[in-house]
Amino acid sequence: MNIQEFLENFAEQFDDTDAEAFAPETKFRELDEWSSLTALSIIAMVDDEYDVIIKGNDILGSETIQDLYNIVEEKVQSKN
Amino acid sequence: MSQLTINNVRISGMSACVPATVEDNRTLSIYKDENEALKVIASTGIERHHKVDPGTTASDLTVKAVEGLLKDLDWQPQDIDCFAYVCTSRDFIAPQTACVLQDRLKLRSDCCVFDLPFGCSGWVYGMSIVSSLMSHGTFKRAILVAAETNTLNRSQRDTTVRPLFGDAATATALEYDPEHSRPMNFMYGVDGSGYEAVWAPYGGMRHPVTHEALEEKEVSPGVFRRGVDMIVNGMDVFGFAIKQPPRSLKELIATFNIDVDSVDLLLLHQANKFIDEKIRKAVKIPAEKTPYCLEEYGNVTSASIPLTMVSRCGERLAGEDQHCIACGFGVGLAWASMEFYAGNVKISPIITY
Repeated sequence: MNIQEFLENFAEQFDDTDAEAFAPETKFRELDEWSSLTALSIIAMVDDEYDVIIKGNDILGSETIQDLYNIVEEKVQSKN
Repeated sequence: MSQLTINNVRISGMSACVPATVEDNRTLSIYKDENEALKVIASTGIERHHKVDPGTTASDLTVKAVEGLLKDLDWQPQDIDCFAYVCTSRDFIAPQTACVLQDRLKLRSDCCVFDLPFGCSGWVYGMSIVSSLMSHGTFKRAILVAAETNTLNRSQRDTTVRPLFGDAATATALEYDPEHSRPMNFMYGVDGSGYEAVWAPYGGMRHPVTHEALEEKEVSPGVFRRGVDMIVNGMDVFGFAIKQPPRSLKELIATFNIDVDSVDLLLLHQANKFIDEKIRKAVKIPAEKTPYCLEEYGNVTSASIPLTMVSRCGERLAGEDQHCIACGFGVGLAWASMEFYAGNVKISPIITY
């Protein structure tokens, strides 16, 4: 997995936010469109694409998309 | 893997009772506008739910459901050898609600009665427990209740739960009938490490009720709760629900060599449409074989699967044997899947109380 692909998958969960708004350092929970429903879409996306389940605290404890990416990457590696 | 096959027991009848009061999510005061409400409806599929009036408990709904079922089956209360009450919103801390119900329903004093404090997995667990007791052959007739008053054990000022959960009681009549029954197959699952995903921290022995536990607090913007109220950590429940139920159903299918094309009905705990559709697609069952009642009744925890059968499958279950697979999942975290056939079932019309 790589951060670029993760960013694209991440951005796909948003309907009204421009793709340019998503960078590794983006504070995703501060985006206008962010809601608890978006969080569920992110959990589903991570399950579909990376076959790991992230927890509520993984999302709430992440400030940037990079932070969340790091958590997903670690879960993927510890699985293999 | 814990698996179980039970023979000689069939479902003879089913009924359900819901409160008369309906709460529509479009007009809930907890939303800032209708747009916000419509967004939640679109993602969960839940439009409204039934809600008990103050003073009414799950056992009150149960009395109506069981009395209606016995009447429609032409069974007498004295015919019942075993009565199981699946419910977490019990009438009293002690005794078990099933004991009080024995008297209210005029069941025999030598009837085998007990509570089963399961949540969303409860109907499937209950089916396995009661059917297993019956399979020995001396209990001829049993009633399995799955009932819950979610609006009583959850905060009404908690936006994360109020639109989603409703109240209902269901009764399933089981009969020892070697001639007309087919095997029921079960698989179980539990992950106690996730117990805080859905829980009520105060009111038990670990954290007894204190004055502070009864004070309503704003735990996050717009979410007010007391220590004794049920907490549903939506994100953790969601992560669990999109993973374990499909896995459990796939295990059931593989273990019991189920031909998925021959399945007539996939009966899922009515968590929300987003979750349930993910499960349905994962096990590759067509939409027309997957009935829903959550739009009308919300998530009614252990009553979800039987309420779906009573409200949406009456005609089909009254006819020839339907090949069913079912999965209940939630608080615990606990889940269970089952395969069974149901046909010639007496389905009572929905009772309101």
